[in-house]
Amino acid sequence: MSKRHYAKAAGTLALVGLVVLVLLVWYGTRVPASALDAAGSVAPGDAALIQRGEYVARASDCVACHSLPDSPAFAGGLKMATPLGAIYATNITPDVTAGIGGYSLADFDRAIRHGVAPEGRRLYPAMPYPSYAKLSDEDIRALYAFFMQGVSPVAAANKPSEIPWPLNVRWPIALWNTLFTQPEPFAQQTTQDAVWNRGAYLVQGAGHCGSCHTPRGLAFNEKALNDSGEQFLAGALLDGWYAPSLRNDPNTGLGRWSEADIAQFLKTGRNQHAVVFGSMTEAFNNSTQFLTDADLAAIARYLKSLPGDPQRDGPPWQYQAAEASVFVSAGGHLYETRCASCHGLDGKGQAPWMPPLAGATSAMTAAAESAINISLNGSLRVVAAGVPDAYRMPAFREQLSDLEIAQVLSFVRATWGNQGGEVDAKAVATLRAHTDPASPTPILLHMR
Amino acid sequence: MSTPIDSALGEPINLSRRRFLVASAGTAVGALVLGFGVPLGSARMQAIAAERQAAGTQVSAFLEIRPDNTIRLLCPFIEGGQGTYTAMAQIVGEELDADPSTFVVDSAPPGEAYVVMENGLRITGGSMSVRMSYPTMRRLGALARAMLLQAASARLNVPVSELTTEPSHVLHVASGRSLSYGELAGLALDLAVPAIDSITLRDPSQFRWIGKPVRRLDSYDKSTGKALYTIDLQVDGMLHAAVQHAPRLGMTVGELRNEAQVKAMKGVHSVHRLPGAVAVVAERWWHAKRAVEAIQVQWQEPSSDSPLRIMPADFSSVAFRERLANEPGPGRDAEVEGDFAGTLAKAKTPVEATYHNQYVNHAQLEPPSALARFNPDGGLEIWLPNQAQDFFLADIAKRTGLDPSRITLHTPLLGGFFGRHFLYDTANPYPQAIELAKAVGRPIKLIWSREEEFLRDPLRPMAVVKFRAALDANGLPVAIEAVSATEGPTEGLAGKQGEKLDPSALEGLTDKAYAIAHRRIAQIYVKGPVMLGYWRSVGNSLNDFFYEAFLDELADKGGHDPYELRLHLLQGNARLTHLLQSVAELSGGWKRGPFTAEDGSRRARGVAMASPFGTETAVVAEVSIENGQVKVHDIWQAIDPGSIVNPAIVEAQVNGAVALGLSQALVEEAVYVDGKPRARNYDLYPILPPARMARVHVKVIESGAKMGGIGEPPLPAVAPAVANAVSRLTGQRIRSMPFSSYTFSQPT
Amino acid sequence: MELRINQKTYQVDAEADTPLLWVIRDDLGLTGTKYGCGLAQCGACSVLVDGNVVRSCVTPVAGVVGREVTTIEAIEVDEVGKRVVAAWVEYQVAQCGYCQSGQVMAATALLKRTPKPNDAQIAAAMVNLCRCGTYNAINAAVHELATDVATLAAPAGEIV
Repeated sequence: MSKRHYAKAAGTLALVGLVVLVLLVWYGTRVPASALDAAGSVAPGDAALIQRGEYVARASDCVACHSLPDSPAFAGGLKMATPLGAIYATNITPDVTAGIGGYSLADFDRAIRHGVAPEGRRLYPAMPYPSYAKLSDEDIRALYAFFMQGVSPVAAANKPSEIPWPLNVRWPIALWNTLFTQPEPFAQQTTQDAVWNRGAYLVQGAGHCGSCHTPRGLAFNEKALNDSGEQFLAGALLDGWYAPSLRNDPNTGLGRWSEADIAQFLKTGRNQHAVVFGSMTEAFNNSTQFLTDADLAAIARYLKSLPGDPQRDGPPWQYQAAEASVFVSAGGHLYETRCASCHGLDGKGQAPWMPPLAGATSAMTAAAESAINISLNGSLRVVAAGVPDAYRMPAFREQLSDLEIAQVLSFVRATWGNQGGEVDAKAVATLRAHTDPASPTPILLHMR
Repeated sequence: MSTPIDSALGEPINLSRRRFLVASAGTAVGALVLGFGVPLGSARMQAIAAERQAAGTQVSAFLEIRPDNTIRLLCPFIEGGQGTYTAMAQIVGEELDADPSTFVVDSAPPGEAYVVMENGLRITGGSMSVRMSYPTMRRLGALARAMLLQAASARLNVPVSELTTEPSHVLHVASGRSLSYGELAGLALDLAVPAIDSITLRDPSQFRWIGKPVRRLDSYDKSTGKALYTIDLQVDGMLHAAVQHAPRLGMTVGELRNEAQVKAMKGVHSVHRLPGAVAVVAERWWHAKRAVEAIQVQWQEPSSDSPLRIMPADFSSVAFRERLANEPGPGRDAEVEGDFAGTLAKAKTPVEATYHNQYVNHAQLEPPSALARFNPDGGLEIWLPNQAQDFFLADIAKRTGLDPSRITLHTPLLGGFFGRHFLYDTANPYPQAIELAKAVGRPIKLIWSREEEFLRDPLRPMAVVKFRAALDANGLPVAIEAVSATEGPTEGLAGKQGEKLDPSALEGLTDKAYAIAHRRIAQIYVKGPVMLGYWRSVGNSLNDFFYEAFLDELADKGGHDPYELRLHLLQGNARLTHLLQSVAELSGGWKRGPFTAEDGSRRARGVAMASPFGTETAVVAEVSIENGQVKVHDIWQAIDPGSIVNPAIVEAQVNGAVALGLSQALVEEAVYVDGKPRARNYDLYPILPPARMARVHVKVIESGAKMGGIGEPPLPAVAPAVANAVSRLTGQRIRSMPFSSYTFSQPT
Repeated sequence: MELRINQKTYQVDAEADTPLLWVIRDDLGLTGTKYGCGLAQCGACSVLVDGNVVRSCVTPVAGVVGREVTTIEAIEVDEVGKRVVAAWVEYQVAQCGYCQSGQVMAATALLKRTPKPNDAQIAAAMVNLCRCGTYNAINAAVHELATDVATLAAPAGEIV
């Protein structure tokens, strides 16, 4: 091809490219339709609606990101690290300039369920709109009523993200949305009863459990947004914690838990199998404990309906007593001197206050991050019904070396029938470098 | 007349039955009392104090001799593990002629009668108790003995000159008659205290107890849980209290979001707002603690006129260290000798290095507490851990507006102190306990949880020291300068730098014995937001590390063995030369290494010296590297306090000081992030565990020099000796503590 | 709930998750067992439960119902415990003494289970913290007890 032809072809390509780009930008910045476009607004002073909205906000754990401790509710500011740079949660108080006070119901709906701000700017999917898309019109209306009328306006300006240009261009997210989200609200499954459907609605929608518990694809998309995918809630690594399977896997999931166990866990933060730790402590402190018993029962019913995967899960765990001789090893010695006071020489813990390590998910999953992280950094305070826990996990990062933590966790993960496997000192070093110790003081996020 | 403990000091205290039984152990029914326990601040006390020029002569204020010959001594100093009760029983017993094992020792109340230290103070600190009161306490024993002799003289109707004593008895050899001290006590009470110059002290060559490894009086009680600390005390009608402090000092209490809910919690009596804290009073401490933790306080930022040392929200100890390191200025001179600058300018080999240390906590094992009770007459009775009673009493009087005579202050045993229990504003629970007791009208025992203690514990200061030095043609140091950017603990308490420099900021850098002709030691005063306190061996704990480690750098730079260099620099100083040679000998001869030990590990040794609190010390440390961290195998310490009272206690104190010295060198560091201590318990603030303790070998040298201290002096030379050994072994200079922030490769 | 402590039976009104430590100290007035950290870090609160050493600050009281608890107050009732106390006095272990109840309990539990422990067993069992640094004295006392099963002399420092 001659140079002239080459240039012409290139010019044509560039033109086509430009047109495609313009179309994409248009697509990525247009304001999509809302099911509530024609719904007007909500009536002022509808206390029942506001109260329902507050409950939906609790279930959705909006405070988790949009409030900071010791700061006004929903004024934003939480720093979230992304591979591209840090972003900051926004002010979602009804302040007209700093917050969302100027949002119409439809604007609000587009942000919550579609991830689109009024001017067409796409939200980062750190905002779990792929899950909130499942919310019903009524819950969106209630949520809107709460945020507009139940939350005090705060004139705190949003912090700009630290993602550099051109990575901070938002319109490509629309393409991501097209590929990886399902814009339809939750649809009742007629083959299941109302309890199951309520549970499914809460888990997939407001609860956005999949944000942590569903494994993600290369584009950081959740591999499934509902139970039609077998990867849904199958366990995932996020922010230095492994959120385990919520499916019926006896080892790495909820297979050994009854529905009552699940409900108790979400209501009190603890049961005979486990105590909330890691990110789940925040979800518990600020969200799950506030759900009604009926909703927790529904969640439990739904989760117990998700089949496990024996292939992934391995042979079901059975308790095996440990010989006294195992405590002679380096890891065993560390366990005896550092762990046994609370978790017991027999690994059975002192449930429900101090969890067993025998059969614990963190000792059964191949991913060792949760075990490493809590050993290094200890636990956040579990605050149930307003009262901080009587017992907390200490942080061992200043007392034990990477090797020692690897040794003691390797011991735990190979004893009492546990099958988690060896922990590498390098993995401990990596997490040590990227994590901080948990605060020993209770942290509660307030909604009012 | 039976006199249970404390009753002579005011109202009966109605401690629990157990407390009563323990406290009065050894008191036989019908005990006659040698006038003990003059009420604090009474007219009689003041009169006595006024008419006596010599301290420690009011025998009746110190001693009670019971019919069974047990002797109760009210000790001017507080027992916190350092063995002072036993030492005082030895000293008094020696002159009184009574076996120390027959003593029951308790802390004396505040009061002028007990100001027995030669510097006119009365504190338990600075390793001063024995060395500053030794002659006085001996004289006290001798005066009491003289009174007993006079009483016997009257009773037996023979001249005193015909009487002698054997332990706890007066003998009239001629008639073969004997009276026990217990029998004579009642009579002796009525006698005037003899003139000071009428008594003769025992010839030290005749000592039976002083200088001997007399057993501690508290061993059994402390091995069986019978020893009582403030935290253990109970009085009738008492309620328990717990507090939640503001996360940063200076913040004030705002709205309590859930006060009603907390008030409704089980066992909760009441919820209280205090300055910079909220409190819960409950029937049980556990209830109080859980409830107070549950209070959701909206803490308010400090007002600009807050009288407190405000902790800013962005304070970071790492950043503050950077600031210290970059603080400009020549500093204020503390010690200048010769011509440092001139010598350095023409030096063949100048050497420079910057050192720093870390903030450390006291981390004594007994969390602070206080028990306060207002008695029906409006007087206040209070039990609290302290190491300076008169200061605390004055402070309580000031805070409450009560006349000191209406305040009865008790000082139970201390569960460790290490400098923790001085009068630190905002760091003691008693003001809160008093306020709560007043508010609820019942006695209050307030315990700070371990987490609250770590939040308010005043820290040992941090310093960045810049050294410059000059070596001569022979590689010998001829000039040295140390400029420390720091705030001393005394400056911390005052909140400003005084007209004179704070000696506790620079001790360990100043007054070195080494013959380095040209010296300049200076301080750049940098006030920080951290509340500071005294920590065992105070400035020496950091400064001797800096100086002695830098001295090894100079030795290496000049091509000299550090042990030989020290000997050279101490030429003509017989005492320190002997001391240094003694520690070398104790360790089997100076052997720097590296060498391979029997177990195959590569090891090296380091040496260091220190002169803290009137005592001279020299330490040799042997180390290896295990899993990238320092393993200290042995510490040899030669210590010359001039003369001693109890070699067993001295050896125990050396062990303890070595442990704390290793702890600060190896593992301890108080880190502040965002204005808050990162550690609120021992999990993130590790202290030396048993596995990291070294074997300790002690050589006590009684050179006969003026008596020095014991509790603190064995600490400062430990860290530099270890650092010097590690540098030798690894080739890596150790210029900061703790050493856990270094990673060492396995030496081959 | 009903507790067995030092071979006596107590009726205690406490929530199930109350640490045994505070029941012992505040409800029963047995203050020999010490509060140091509340986080199983220091061991000052060590007691025996069915002869094994536990840290009572992290032992919910409900967990010891039906089991035999021994505190420092009854340590000399136990033959081994009595020997341990005698050795502690013989070796003049205590300084401030605050941790020593727990240290004595730990040593007693060790020697009851393993009358002649080796160095590794001693190191594994004697892990309580001591801020005064009495570790070498503790070590010497335990080694004496581990090697010399003959009864030690009666404590000599006792003033009662």
